[in-house]
Amino acid sequence: MLAYALRRVLLSVPILIASTFVVFVITALSKSPISDLRAKNPPPPERTIELERQRLNLDQPLLERYWNWLLGLFRGDFGPSVQSRMDIGAEVVDRFIVTFRLIGLAMLVALVLAIIVGVISAVKQYSGVDYTSTFLGFLFLSLPSFWFAILLKQAGISFNNAVGEQVLFTIGDSSVYVTGGTWAEFTDALGHMVLPTISLALLSFAAWSRFQRASMLEVLNSDYVRLARAKGLRRGTVMRKHALRTALIPLTTVTALDLGAIISGAVVTEKVFQWQGAGTFLLDAIERSDVYAVQAWLLVSATFIILFNLAADLLYGVLDPRIRYA
Amino acid sequence: MRRSRTISAAALLMGSALILSACGGDGGDGDGAAEPGNIYADCDANPNECNAVPDDQLQDGGEISFAIEKNIPNWNIISSEGNVQESAFVLKGVLPYTFYAEPDFTVTMNEDVLVSAEQVSDDPQTIEYEIQPDAQWSDGTPINADDFIYNWKVQNGEDCPDCAPASTSGYDQVESVEGSDDGKTVTVTFKEPFTDWKVLWGSGGPMYPAHIAEENGGTDSPKGLAESFEWFGKNVPEYSGGPFKIENFQDNESVTAVPNENFWGEAPNLDRLIYRVITEASEQPTALQNNEVQVIYPQPQVDFVDQIDAMQGVSSHIGMGLVWEHFDFNLKNKFLSDEPLRDALFTAVDRQGIIDKTVGQFTDKAEPLNSHNFVPGQDGYEDVVSEFGHGSGDVEAAKKILTDAGYELSGGKLQTPDGKTVPEMRIRYTTGNEIRQNECELFAQAAKELGVTVNVEPTDDLGGTLVEGDYDIIVFAWVSSPFPYSGAVQLWTSDSGSNFGKYENEEVDKLLREAASETDTAVATEKLNEADKIMSEDAYVLPLYQKPTFIAAHDNVANVRNNSTLDGPVYNVAEWGLRKE
Repeated sequence: MLAYALRRVLLSVPILIASTFVVFVITALSKSPISDLRAKNPPPPERTIELERQRLNLDQPLLERYWNWLLGLFRGDFGPSVQSRMDIGAEVVDRFIVTFRLIGLAMLVALVLAIIVGVISAVKQYSGVDYTSTFLGFLFLSLPSFWFAILLKQAGISFNNAVGEQVLFTIGDSSVYVTGGTWAEFTDALGHMVLPTISLALLSFAAWSRFQRASMLEVLNSDYVRLARAKGLRRGTVMRKHALRTALIPLTTVTALDLGAIISGAVVTEKVFQWQGAGTFLLDAIERSDVYAVQAWLLVSATFIILFNLAADLLYGVLDPRIRYA
Repeated sequence: MRRSRTISAAALLMGSALILSACGGDGGDGDGAAEPGNIYADCDANPNECNAVPDDQLQDGGEISFAIEKNIPNWNIISSEGNVQESAFVLKGVLPYTFYAEPDFTVTMNEDVLVSAEQVSDDPQTIEYEIQPDAQWSDGTPINADDFIYNWKVQNGEDCPDCAPASTSGYDQVESVEGSDDGKTVTVTFKEPFTDWKVLWGSGGPMYPAHIAEENGGTDSPKGLAESFEWFGKNVPEYSGGPFKIENFQDNESVTAVPNENFWGEAPNLDRLIYRVITEASEQPTALQNNEVQVIYPQPQVDFVDQIDAMQGVSSHIGMGLVWEHFDFNLKNKFLSDEPLRDALFTAVDRQGIIDKTVGQFTDKAEPLNSHNFVPGQDGYEDVVSEFGHGSGDVEAAKKILTDAGYELSGGKLQTPDGKTVPEMRIRYTTGNEIRQNECELFAQAAKELGVTVNVEPTDDLGGTLVEGDYDIIVFAWVSSPFPYSGAVQLWTSDSGSNFGKYENEEVDKLLREAASETDTAVATEKLNEADKIMSEDAYVLPLYQKPTFIAAHDNVANVRNNSTLDGPVYNVAEWGLRKE
């Protein structure tokens, strides 16, 4: 298993390097940050433009810029940002921490709900519960995420008005000033998390609950589950130890593969709820034509996706003894 | 801002109920309003005094959150990178400056910093500034001539070649800056007259402390100046020469200002002013409704102007600003280099029709702009466009111009006097800007009536498109200024880098340069309008309208009002306060 994991990691390195090169070239050629400077009103002096060109290494050939960036990575230098105050390395890490705080909780909520609803739907197939969960699942799947998020914000405001207190927040991951100690800070943070978490979680929940239902149905109709029942095992034991465990394998794969999509989906949630996470970092960087910032985002997000997929592979072994002992 | 003390976990359980309640949401209570009603009712008639509240009707202290649309990219707002609206807003109450613009566009001396500022000689032009005797930085160092000298050196393009200032305009015309009376009198002598001398060390480019520069690089050598210039950009100001100082900066989130206890003038009303970064303008109304911010100042759009109108306890006001939209021709296009064709195309464009179908949907204040250098309300504004019929939408008159010049229609296509068919052209606008897209579509419709096919194409790189001249016609905006004379040279003279369409007229160049080098403003205005008239006749740029500005605030917010100049609503930030309950 360890050799397999190492092989997977090593195979990812050339893919990662190739993707950084492609993105570097595309971003660098799409727009020059200098053109924004030239269009400023009042126009900056030529010397100012020249200094900026030098600072951003735009006086170097493209391949040399890429090579120097690659070498810089080994020294922990992610290159100069269009925003000279920004340390790209520190900034991208901070932003991903914000994003993972958001998607971590959202994924957890979505997974737990998806497993519960999926299993109940499968066990009680064609019942009222099944039809209701199916309806809700398709409803959430068909909702445009930005529209749903905006609707949630209005709901949050209505809720605050109803209780006469500011419980839920629509902007940012915390208030600028919170008085009242640790408990107040905790409730403040929670009040900022509720709406974006619901917004992000329900979309994943909708898809995952459908997977879980289908997977559970397939397992429940399999021979070994029938055998387990025929042997006289308790229903709960059959469900928990034999059926559910096997039925989780497809969901594990889907969850791992969905990480990239969730990070992408979080861009919309971050924008609407103004969480300054990795998604908004990327959008701002593209808007500024900030090549090195885009590269840093790509590097970190790709690394996370590779590691998450690897973790999913390793989880198969935990869930399915046949894989573990193979 | 009220804090949650309720166990928010309960809210999680109410998620689905929330969705349902949103469908029937009432738009909020607008809580916090001490005085219901429209606080901006008299802003059109009295822009400088509206929403003014006497001190005895204000709360003692309090906190206001004001939404800004971008993070602070750089703390040095006289640098090219830091010269953005958000940095200027945040530092308005922190850095000292000489002059600022009022909401009615008049330019006023900053009496907190200066006792007087007068032109004491015409030849050579000499300005004498007398600094308030008590004016000092927050560490007790007097604000004096050293600060003027330092800020001149880093912006004149000579003393500090490695500084990257936003502009050298005006500072490069200064011969010397000298201090006397313990540095409290500053005498500035110009090499050649500079009409817009009030812009120097003004609110658009305030002063950084020379003594701090001395500690962080130096003030005497090019290297030291460059180091200190960069240092000011990278470090959050812990110094202040204004009513507020910065207490806290949360990157990408907020900047908090609190009163500067060493400020020599009248202390601010507020205990705390929070600049909250909300990068999506469309999310600002919700934050306002939920009392997460109390003042917003976004670019208006139809949907959220309506949304805010429906909110209780919130007032809003649309003003007409200094940013103006315009169609530009690229004269490098050999067909467009022919003046009658340009003349006819501009005549066929219906500016009022464009306004009605774009910004006219949320304000009836927008009207066709008839100057390239002034806006209505500014001293010097003169209609130099209408007499040429441009923007009138008179297609018949446009056709006559073409016919008189020898153009002919053949098979629905316009042909030049020498028999060539006018080719298809491209009009470009910024990707995602629906208003500009509509403007371009309407231009194309007008051109089609003359037999000219104009294709509408977006660009996601407006700067690059302009600089490379990758357009035939383009729509974008310039920012006018209370100091228009030097700006006009930068925009319209033949050799200027901002003259993207490559317009050339020696007479205009001469008049613009003379206007920018006058000691008599009245003469300068006359020359600028004369040049403007020639430009209009040459049909190079067609002004469309002033872009509206929009402010919305809770009704209990006092002394906060729209200021459509670059100074923005924070021009009087020390006066901001909250009405008593």
